[in-house]
Amino acid sequence: MKAKKKINWNYFLIAPSLLISIAIILVPGIMTFVFSFTDWNGLSPNINFVGLKNFAEIFQDKVFYRAITNNVIWVIMFLTIPVCIGMLAACLLLNRKKTRSIYQVAFLIPYILAPAVNAMLWLNVIFSPIAGLFAALRNFGINLSSPLSNVKTAIYACAGVDIWHYWSYLSVIYLAALRQVPTDQVEAARIDGCSSPQLFRYIYLPNIKSTVTLMFVMITIGSFLAFDYIKLLTGGGPAHATEVLGTYAYNLAFSQMKVGKAAAAGLFISFFGLIASAVYTKLSKSEEME
Amino acid sequence: MKGKKLIATLLTASMLASAAAVPALADGDREDITMWFWGAEPYAQEALINLLVNPYNESQDQYNLVVEFRPSVDADIQTALAANEGPDIVYGSGPSFVMPLVEAGKLEPMDAYSEQYGWADKILTPYYESGTVNGTLYSLVNGVSTMGVFYNKKVLADNGWEVPTTIEELEAVMDAAMEKGLYASVTGNKGWQPVNENYGSLFLTHIAGPETMYKVLTGEESWENEAVIAAVTKSKEWWDKGYLAGSDYPNLNFSESLQLLSAEQSPFFIGPSIAYQWAASYFTGDIEENLGFIPFPATEQVPDTTYTLGAACTLSINANASQEHKDEAAKIIDMMMNAEFMQNMTAAWPGYWGTPLKDLSSVDTSEMPYLSQEFVKVVQSVSEAVNAGNFGYYDNVFFPSATQNRIVNIDEVWYDTVSVEDYVASIQAEFEVEFEKGLVPPIPQPAVAE
Repeated sequence: MKAKKKINWNYFLIAPSLLISIAIILVPGIMTFVFSFTDWNGLSPNINFVGLKNFAEIFQDKVFYRAITNNVIWVIMFLTIPVCIGMLAACLLLNRKKTRSIYQVAFLIPYILAPAVNAMLWLNVIFSPIAGLFAALRNFGINLSSPLSNVKTAIYACAGVDIWHYWSYLSVIYLAALRQVPTDQVEAARIDGCSSPQLFRYIYLPNIKSTVTLMFVMITIGSFLAFDYIKLLTGGGPAHATEVLGTYAYNLAFSQMKVGKAAAAGLFISFFGLIASAVYTKLSKSEEME
Repeated sequence: MKGKKLIATLLTASMLASAAAVPALADGDREDITMWFWGAEPYAQEALINLLVNPYNESQDQYNLVVEFRPSVDADIQTALAANEGPDIVYGSGPSFVMPLVEAGKLEPMDAYSEQYGWADKILTPYYESGTVNGTLYSLVNGVSTMGVFYNKKVLADNGWEVPTTIEELEAVMDAAMEKGLYASVTGNKGWQPVNENYGSLFLTHIAGPETMYKVLTGEESWENEAVIAAVTKSKEWWDKGYLAGSDYPNLNFSESLQLLSAEQSPFFIGPSIAYQWAASYFTGDIEENLGFIPFPATEQVPDTTYTLGAACTLSINANASQEHKDEAAKIIDMMMNAEFMQNMTAAWPGYWGTPLKDLSSVDTSEMPYLSQEFVKVVQSVSEAVNAGNFGYYDNVFFPSATQNRIVNIDEVWYDTVSVEDYVASIQAEFEVEFEKGLVPPIPQPAVAE
């Protein structure tokens, strides 16, 4: 007599998210990979296989290297400036038990505003030569040009706006992690005469290491996906000075109708994200071993 | 628990009720005819609703014209059509935008409608032909746009400057303006990088010249010729001298530029005639008549009044729409292709609806505000110049998309990231590919200089 087969409900429970992931991540991912070897213009039913031509053309394009360089600049800036500001703010808020909620809400306002709103604010309130801060400075005889107009500074200006909106998010994450640090360790260290920097270095930082590592990886992945603030502030200009892989691929797909080539550029975005994910997995495993 | 069940039941009931109510709310049993449009200024959107949507909807009881204003209309249209969806009336940012859509079979041939409504007879031939692919009509240009020089009459008069008639005079006034602490001219590409193409097209028309550009666009001559190189070099010279708003170019848009012109911060705004629509917000009341417009002044290469032929937008019909919707879409497009519509729209929205008609004699400007009257004069003047063959080629009308994109990137030369020669070679490389694929729109022949 056959034993009655048990229904494994796990498969049913995981099915919806799996199906959604397959439909909107795996299938488009495979399609992007396949289209990167074609000359598809995004509309035509005539799709020709062109081998590695798209990749060869991209490797010969100076703008592609400019885009990668800008993405790397973006990663470096985001791994340092907002991390330091966010951590500093979180440490300062840690001991402000009564008022930290108000500060957190105030700091988070740029983060919860839509990127389009933030970009318009900066374009019109800060950078505008008619009504912005730069116009006001001109009235006082300080004739400064907007950093967005200079090919050497434009990428830093764009990153600055994005960092302004992003650092508070990190601050909230770090604060949540810092609050989980066992108070007995903190108190013991204080009794032993630890200074504040020593307390941070030897008690808090080791305890929030996994959160910091995770955020490093998320920032790296996010930096290679950078698109919205650049598109809104400069569109990748002037003269490609703020081009990143995201705007480069968008321009290929929607301005030049070269979707095949855009797919090839898109693969590089995924490639860098994949490296960051692999590093995170490796670090997580090492942590588990410890 | 009971409370939760009750809330769930009420929510479900309300959802079902609202779903059932949707058809009843959709303006009786009318079917929607859809059109997507760019995100024009609020007063302009209102004008289109009042003068196109409402009259059409009131004229019959079967269909309901719905216009959606979308700032990202170009990308939206491409994505929707790729999925065999999208609006019945397809907006395009110029005939060159239309070519890939035709190649992909996304647009309906409009020859039968052209015959029905007599479009070939009433629309200026170069504009009509720019909407054809291999002799078949796929799009109509809604409005003429041309590059020219807007000027503030008061600024010129106050400083004793004459309205320039040659490029040398124009440059002399701009030099003098900068010495006085004014902008040489105001313009900028904030929020819309393709503004660069205005200046690429302008210098190709007035420095390289229409004859050379005709040969280049018909494949008779390479882009890498002295005349084209001279045109790009001239644009760089203007950039270096700060004639294009100096370092504020990336921080100004057309609206702000017109604001500065009205505030007497510059003698000139060199840009497309569609900019009248932004001027209407700033040249108001006592200063309304301070605004003047002249065609780009004479150059050594192009001494006669010559206009760069540009388009405000194109209108096509979605090939995936039902036959009834296609017929209605054609009817609506025809409503926009007549002098009366141009007259009414221009009165309310100057600058955008310069319908490219051969005969504009019936357009009555007597009741129009000053700016609308001035815009009609520009359109009439363009119409005369086209009939005389004095025209050049705006890139969004006559260049295929990748070539057009290279013109948009002319700022690579301005910012010294690419040499003029390398830049022109890169245009040639893109153009060759697109020319071989047959993606270049029909190029009307200009008058041959004697």
